[in-house]
Amino acid sequence: MAGKEVFALQINGTRREIFAPGDATLLDVLRDDLALRAAKRGCNQGVCGACTVMVDGVPVRGCLTLAGACTGREVTTLEGFADDAAMQALQEAMILSGGVQCGFCTSGMLITARDLVAQTPVPDEPAIRSALSGNLCRCTGYVRIVEAVTDAALQLARQKDTKREAVE
Amino acid sequence: MSIAVTIPPEKLTGTAVGKSTPKLENREKVLGRAEYIDDLYRPGMLHAAILGSPHAHARILSYDVSQALAAPGVVAVITGDDVPDGRMGAFIKDEHALAKGKVLYQGEPVAAVAAETLEQARAAVNLIEVEYEELPAVLSPEEGLAPDAPILHENLDAYFKVFDAGSKGNLCSRTELSEGDVDSAWAECAVVVEGEYTTEPQAHVAIEPCGALAEVDAQGRVTLWSANQSVFRVQANVCESLNLPMSRLRSLTPRVGAGFGNKMEAHVQPLTVALAMKTGRPVKCILTREEDFEIVRARHPFKVRMKTGADAQGRLIARDCEVLLDCGAFADDSPGVLGYALLMSGGPYRIPNQRARGKLVYTNKLRFGAFRGFGNPQVGFAGEQQIDQIARKLGIDPIEMRRRNMLREGDGWFAGPKVASNGLARCLDAVEAASGWARRDAISAAPGKRRGKGIAISAHISGLLGTGAIVRMLEDGTIALNTGATDIGQGSDTVLAQICAEALQVPVEMVSVASPDTDGSPYNWGTTASRVTYTTGRAVAGAARDVLRQAMDHAAEMLDVPVDQLELREGGRIAVKGANVDLPFAAISARAHWAKGGPIVGSHSLVFDEPTHDPKRAIALGLPFPRIGVFSFGAVVVDVEVDEVTGQPRVAEAWSAIDVGRAINPRLVDVQIEGGFVQGMGFALYEAMVWDGARLVNPSLMDYKIPTSADTPPIHSIIVEDPEPNGPFGAKGAGEIGLNPVPAAIANALTQVVGGPLHALPMTPERVLDQMTGQADEQPQGQGDEA
Amino acid sequence: MSFVVAPQTVDEAIAFLAANPDARPMAGGASLVAMKNARLIEASHFVSLARIEALRGIGPSAAGGLRIGGMMHHRQIAECADLTGGWQMLRQAAGLIANRVVRNMGTIGGAIANADPAADYLPVLACAGAEVELVGPDGLRRLAVADYLVDWYETALEPGEIVTAIELPAGGDGPSVYRKLARTPGDYATVSVACAREGAGPDSSVRVAVGACGPAPIRDRDAEAALAGRLHDPAAIAAFCATLAEQADPIDDVRGSAAYRLKLIPRMVAAAIRDVTGDR
Ligand SMILES: Cc1cc2nc3c(=O)[nH]c(=O)nc-3n(C[C@H](O)[C@H](O)[C@H](O)COP(=O)(O)OP(=O)(O)OC[C@H]3O[C@@H](n4cnc5c(N)ncnc54)[C@H](O)[C@@H]3O)c2cc1C
Ligand code: FES
Ligand code: FES
Repeated sequence: MAGKEVFALQINGTRREIFAPGDATLLDVLRDDLALRAAKRGCNQGVCGACTVMVDGVPVRGCLTLAGACTGREVTTLEGFADDAAMQALQEAMILSGGVQCGFCTSGMLITARDLVAQTPVPDEPAIRSALSGNLCRCTGYVRIVEAVTDAALQLARQKDTKREAVE
Repeated sequence: MSIAVTIPPEKLTGTAVGKSTPKLENREKVLGRAEYIDDLYRPGMLHAAILGSPHAHARILSYDVSQALAAPGVVAVITGDDVPDGRMGAFIKDEHALAKGKVLYQGEPVAAVAAETLEQARAAVNLIEVEYEELPAVLSPEEGLAPDAPILHENLDAYFKVFDAGSKGNLCSRTELSEGDVDSAWAECAVVVEGEYTTEPQAHVAIEPCGALAEVDAQGRVTLWSANQSVFRVQANVCESLNLPMSRLRSLTPRVGAGFGNKMEAHVQPLTVALAMKTGRPVKCILTREEDFEIVRARHPFKVRMKTGADAQGRLIARDCEVLLDCGAFADDSPGVLGYALLMSGGPYRIPNQRARGKLVYTNKLRFGAFRGFGNPQVGFAGEQQIDQIARKLGIDPIEMRRRNMLREGDGWFAGPKVASNGLARCLDAVEAASGWARRDAISAAPGKRRGKGIAISAHISGLLGTGAIVRMLEDGTIALNTGATDIGQGSDTVLAQICAEALQVPVEMVSVASPDTDGSPYNWGTTASRVTYTTGRAVAGAARDVLRQAMDHAAEMLDVPVDQLELREGGRIAVKGANVDLPFAAISARAHWAKGGPIVGSHSLVFDEPTHDPKRAIALGLPFPRIGVFSFGAVVVDVEVDEVTGQPRVAEAWSAIDVGRAINPRLVDVQIEGGFVQGMGFALYEAMVWDGARLVNPSLMDYKIPTSADTPPIHSIIVEDPEPNGPFGAKGAGEIGLNPVPAAIANALTQVVGGPLHALPMTPERVLDQMTGQADEQPQGQGDEA
Repeated sequence: MSFVVAPQTVDEAIAFLAANPDARPMAGGASLVAMKNARLIEASHFVSLARIEALRGIGPSAAGGLRIGGMMHHRQIAECADLTGGWQMLRQAAGLIANRVVRNMGTIGGAIANADPAADYLPVLACAGAEVELVGPDGLRRLAVADYLVDWYETALEPGEIVTAIELPAGGDGPSVYRKLARTPGDYATVSVACAREGAGPDSSVRVAVGACGPAPIRDRDAEAALAGRLHDPAAIAAFCATLAEQADPIDDVRGSAAYRLKLIPRMVAAAIRDVTGDR
């Protein structure tokens, strides 16, 4: 067990200081020290994806990332996307589609999906299925999650088009 | 992707039933604000860690906890010596809160530590010393039945049992059912097929691992939160194992990260309560993923021996089924799984002569227990392959074969249960049409692949045991619903609110749903057996009727008209028939609260009480369920593709139709179909817990694989509605039926593609390749892929 | 001192590791932190290599081939447009590792240091004739993959040494292919095959390496030479496949039995050769 240390982390746009074991993972400090509990622990081995969060805008496993390796980086959890239009579109689509059952996978799923729609504006079904394949869901059979991401991506693309038209 | 919702929305008169209302708690979940057991914290809370047994079977000689107690942060250590001699169990009370005297499987909790931090608790666990006397282990049911086998439960005779289990030695229970005369029926058959089938243990893998949080108040009363499928079963299990009066324990639920049978009976709740009682402080115990695999429960491995015969027209004459079940170390729900599997072994068919016999044997392994399907997928894997086999022999199309033999309206079920609504024929029609079954040979495979379709059908009950509901009208006329049914994510809170709203003609938003609480909720056996919509829904409808009756009485007095001249109108108003005079619930409730009669509280409770066994029809021995439930039906077609190089199978597309009586919330039914399909597909193709001797070798998600979004197909869910006469608005259950036929349908498709038989699950690339190359040996190259 | 240290240069990292024998290098942590979480390893420090500029980049090597920095993530390799022809298989392999999120974390250097016999890069690098660049207190050395991989999970990496880069010789026009059989997408391979074609004419040949069937990828240059010019001859291919299968030493594990792996080797190798020759 590593001794306790002070970490200064930039979380959801705010600087936070935490006193935690030196080998604590990002998931540990988010959940235990910062009470940011949207990210879940489903395996602690990097497989289930329930702990997925962003570091410097890139989705990573919270359970495989050490808090000590995040100093000087921007950590964003689902809570940090409260005002993000793309995330809101994904969230609304998930609510309507039925892609949320127990909800334990939902937070990680949304983070991965948010990254996908940012990188690939209108992903097709195989692209969505491939991108989400590291986020396990045992409840839904994925059909409605894929549907939600499709719907949200289309809606975001349309919004972008209208905005562009408005500018032109 | 619902293709055919048979009652079109415009024909629904109601306000709530039949609408795909998004689940009430969805927003909380997409915002990450839903609180699951590991999200709960209490002031001064300790963390627990568990020491597992290194042996499969051993006597515990002594404990030395002194070093662990002296370790930093440790507040208490408990061992078997700290828990009373109480025993819990749904059918046979054979299990302590913590191993006591003996350990019965590797990993079984023998001691637990509560410490200030989780790290400290985990470190201290390794300092506990336990001295064992190792005993020879029983690792298979056959070994367990051997005459000189070591005995797991020496006091089995003395254990309390809820039915005539016939327990003896390591035989935990046996069940036998028979109808007609199987032995002489074979003579009438033109075709007889026979085979042995094996299935492997499947892990539930709810993405949320099991956990509990307990605290004891100054009076010594316990409050317990846990990941559960029934706050009442939690209460019963903890109180039975710790010898506590039920009134001393309050069981609550946070949001539950899904349950598929794994969270129905006890997991860590008893030992967590024992730690909280010992320390006097709140204690939280959350299993690691590895522990969740090793110490909770799993789907039973089955050995099925089955024989089926039909006449020359393909009419089924007889079926004989014998099963051998590994029980694991404790009975848990196993006797029920055995009995239910036997009851389902004939499938949804008319078969005049049927026999089903089975044995359940204790072994030194993790307990096997309830898992979505409850033994039905395993016997269906055998039975539905035999139906195809007979069809092939007689040159009958598999769907036609099923049509000729399926249960029709008015037919009863094997051994005696009555079947009221039966939408099986429509399910079959629906998947046949949607999947393009008639043209199935015309579809060509991609280069390097072979392709084919398969079908299987199934039936499943919804019902069992007791349930209640309380509906209250609040001061402002809005409604508070309280049922005690844990919503495990499938949406029962929403569905029950819809039923309540419909019965009272109010918008769903006007109904609040209470979180289950053994202090305040009416009894509910649990979220299991596909039962909540059907049984609890009935209770809710009944309680709402009770509220309505009281409201009508008030309205009659208030309007000075007889009750029979009043009617309920949309929006929660009671009106004079044919007149423009009405009263809103708010006015009625205000009167009840402040002036006359007292607050309106409606309640209703029921127990499913129709007999399983009809003695005029069948002989039954050791039946664990004297009363069972109503029947849902389903049919599934899969399109399967096999890689010619590796043998790897992949489901390319699937069509699944289920008869749910009435879809209270169609979208939630779709998701039951889809989620059930994928879980069944995992069971069919890759999932298997593997033991090397007594050691589970793959207790991690790295080694135990479940389906991902990239290997699951588009699934076309089809809802068929054949209203159940006594179901709430005609509804019956949807939770398990969608999973049951999946392994068999995939096996039937693969048999088309590579030549059968595929009698062992999972149907791994290796097994499929062996079939494919075996066939290639017999036939000239190139003829194998006419599929 | 903090548990995670993040030196800026290779020299600093080497010096720190030399001074702290119980410290471990950390790339993305994808395997290292998982092992820590499972309490399989103890360390005084994790030395993060994430801030060392010299370990990044994909570009031409001094020898005229390609140099890939040890800290390049799988996702960067999977998306690298320069990996075509004979290097295409590397891109394919990187894109089949784990999943989108883990590919943001795991690195080629970490994967090679970890040396899981089922790891996707190993057969590709063996097939490409790649060299692993190691830097330690005694300086820099380059080892062929075959010499670097010593036994099951055992490499030539000395304590205090780190993987700084991978160098691939000129890749040729290819084509090249990576075939992977895994139980589910994102699982480690049950069997994998990397195959690249050399030359386009009638005397063209293939390089082939088989992964996950022994402590290290199986590659047989003599057999490759014997197959040269006979890529459309089924008997010659069958003989070649049989030679590779004979050299396999697979184990039974949850991903498949040894017997199945032995059956797969000839089937997958033959299929990979068909992929690069265009035969059906
Ligand atoms: C869910 C999951 C699925 C995976 N699936 C696959 C798969 O399908 N195929 C596959 O090939 N891999 C797979 N992996 C492995 C993964 O992709 C990484 O490549 C691998 O774990 C190495 O990770 P890393 O680069 O972060 O190294 P780390 O985890 O940081 O380190 C791994 C080991 O190497 C040492 N080390 C790291 N970098 C160096 C260096 N430069 N020099 C010397 N030593 C070093 C560390 O001390 C440690 O012992 C999977 C991993 C996970 C978590
Ligand atoms: S908890 Fe991190 S991937 Fe499962
Ligand atoms: S909704 Fe339960 S795991 Fe995805």
